[in-house]
Amino acid sequence: MRPSIEKFAEKGFLLSALLSASITIFIFSFMFLFSLPLFKGGHIAQFLRLGWNPYDGKFGVLPMMVGTVIIASFAILIATPFGIGCSALISVFSQRNFGRFLRKLVEFMTGIPTVVYSFVAIFLLVPLVREIFQKGTGMCVLTASIMLALLILPTIVLFLTDAFNSVPKSYLNAAEALGATPVQKLIYVIIPSAWKGIISGLVLAAGRAVGDTMISLMIAGNALQIPKGLSDAARTLTAHIALIIASDYESPEFKSIFVCGLILFVFTMLIVLVLRLLGYFEILRER
Amino acid sequence: MNRLTEHGITLFAWITGIIVIGAIGVLLSFLLYKGIPALNPSMIFGETRPLDALLLKKAVVDGLFPAIAGTILLIITSIIWAIPIGVASGIYLAEYCNVRWKPLFNFLLDVLAGIPSILVGLFGFAISIFLHRHLSEHIYPCFLISSLALACLVLPYIIRTTEQSLTNLPFSIKTTGLALGASRLQNILFILIPYNLSSIISGIILAIGRCAEDTAVIMLTGVVAMAGIPTSVFSQYEAIPFYIFYISSDYNSQQELMQGFGASIILLGICAFLFTLSNILKRKVAIRFATHT
Amino acid sequence: MKETKIKIKGLNCYYQQKMVLKGCRGAFEENAITTIIGPSGVGKTTFLMVLNRLYELIPNCRVEGKVEIKLNGRYLDIHSLPLPALRKKMGMVFQVPNPLPMSIFKNVAFPLRLSGVKDRKYIKEKVKEVLKDAILWDEVKDRLEDSALNLSGGQQQRLCIARAMITQPDVLLLDEPTSSLDIEAALKIEELLEGLKERCTLIIVSHYADFTRRISDNVLTLKDGRFRNHGNSS
Repeated sequence: MRPSIEKFAEKGFLLSALLSASITIFIFSFMFLFSLPLFKGGHIAQFLRLGWNPYDGKFGVLPMMVGTVIIASFAILIATPFGIGCSALISVFSQRNFGRFLRKLVEFMTGIPTVVYSFVAIFLLVPLVREIFQKGTGMCVLTASIMLALLILPTIVLFLTDAFNSVPKSYLNAAEALGATPVQKLIYVIIPSAWKGIISGLVLAAGRAVGDTMISLMIAGNALQIPKGLSDAARTLTAHIALIIASDYESPEFKSIFVCGLILFVFTMLIVLVLRLLGYFEILRER
Repeated sequence: MNRLTEHGITLFAWITGIIVIGAIGVLLSFLLYKGIPALNPSMIFGETRPLDALLLKKAVVDGLFPAIAGTILLIITSIIWAIPIGVASGIYLAEYCNVRWKPLFNFLLDVLAGIPSILVGLFGFAISIFLHRHLSEHIYPCFLISSLALACLVLPYIIRTTEQSLTNLPFSIKTTGLALGASRLQNILFILIPYNLSSIISGIILAIGRCAEDTAVIMLTGVVAMAGIPTSVFSQYEAIPFYIFYISSDYNSQQELMQGFGASIILLGICAFLFTLSNILKRKVAIRFATHT
Repeated sequence: MKETKIKIKGLNCYYQQKMVLKGCRGAFEENAITTIIGPSGVGKTTFLMVLNRLYELIPNCRVEGKVEIKLNGRYLDIHSLPLPALRKKMGMVFQVPNPLPMSIFKNVAFPLRLSGVKDRKYIKEKVKEVLKDAILWDEVKDRLEDSALNLSGGQQQRLCIARAMITQPDVLLLDEPTSSLDIEAALKIEELLEGLKERCTLIIVSHYADFTRRISDNVLTLKDGRFRNHGNSS
């Protein structure tokens, strides 16, 4: 091939890569730019405070941040034991039939759209929770956390299973030869060896939990308050952004959503940095 | 550790597995139970005759057809942007990139992959405001902006699968072509890419699935509840996931609700099919690699 | 004494922090078979990869020194030649046969396609010619469109040799070409390599002492990063 075609192709590839990488930078810039009026107005301190009441000039997103943290934390709290249990089942206790079926099911779960989870939850879970608490609409922290846990479960299970399976065979053989039972292998060899992968899976799942919009939008209640209990309705940053979009362009509450966007961006960056420290990306690249 | 604890742990693991299977089972059965009765042509075409609707002679106002058409068109346009840029970026990172710059690229792309979809939607929205102010008063969130935003959302999937499949090739495959005198580009085009086609396609299928199911991005960039088939890239449009969302909060009759369930089944069917296909392709590749050094 | 085809002077090769080749010197005779032997892991394969500059693909691998090849009567530094051109003059055959996932015909014709040759008649003739040289033609002439991956190990290796020969290289580098094959297949390969030497210079890395004695004109031992000459082995 002529050298000129080669050079042209190489430049083309480079340009594409630059374009892709710069999207991230653009997203940050736009969020920053659109938030600027609010920074300039010295309102930033107001953000991290309570009380969202546009008519009063109050734009605190604190309730939303708390909402996000609480719902995501509960989701992880619920999903982690289930995730570990299922992974243990798939990699250690039942490598044939049941485990393989479970793994296929979990892989299938990755394909379930979040909006479908939420839709079914509205008609199945919400009335149930309403019954249990005997108050409220049933759309609250608990409902959202449960569905969110279901959503992030596949991430945890698939990641943990891969981590468990990458433990060097020599360790397993050694344990086996010494007469270890499957449970002992799991607790004494596999988990200690794969702890980095386990934490990475959990961090990744946390990122997903914070970033999800539809579940919290549809079944968490969207109340503008700091939730004090499982039965309280709450609003997350993500749902907040979706809700405010409906109002008009020039209003100040409108501009506040870009600050929310900035917060989410920074959060994502932190997650990526933590995962890097854990060596997650090296593991991923090896696969 | 005594026997009791051991048995306890094993039991715990089994219980979690059974509960998860049970939960999904309940979810799916409920969905099918409610939605299957709704699955008939009138759910899609409403009162309009199917043929008229398909040939775009008459508009469908009470069926899913516009939403289905919207989703399909959205997927097609989004991946038209995403595939060339994604594959080219993946090739660059795997084959040409200087080791000094790689960490920076990787960091930026990893952040892009992790950004919540609502933020990508917000970005699309911000772009439309920007264009509205500086370019033309007529630009609002629309089909074009949605497809660009969706492309940004799925770009990382395609880049990652392309890059990984190229770097994970066994040394012998990477060098065969070069040893025969192939130039770098020839090696990539004639040997490496064809060899990796399954992986790359599985990444593309994953991207398609993501485009089909995403709601947050399109909510902020132009999807509406009632718009018919989009007539131009600057018009607004309908899509299946948004329809489901909208119906859940605003249904006027039992029949509309049933349509919501029907739509959920359709969306679930599409996405489950695509994700399973992607996984099968990935497994096929893994088997092939097992026979190579 | 025939002319020297490849001259090596002061060749150092660093892989990660280790020095694999130290001040290596050598001269490879034209139209002769030179075999390089030595202990495992000493750097024989690395040396071959220096000759056709495939070492550049190995991360953390650096080379210093002079390697010259005689082309058109002049000695040229291999680093001054464009890569694809160099590799068409210096063919390489690997230890484990690596046919491409294509038909037998397409595999052998591949280097011509890379060079942009379009004349179908010419391609067909050359494929037949090299397959005959590789003593493979009779076995595959009726199934040229079959996948090359279906051939036996020995057949695949002969295919790779034919494929490397189609660009009429001046030098053929072979890295333990028979070590993954059974005895019968290995003997066939030896026979065909002997036939090739009138057309090109062969440099073979080998483990087997018998092999070296039987067909080599010269034998070099690679030890401690340098060559020690054993002279003629016939």
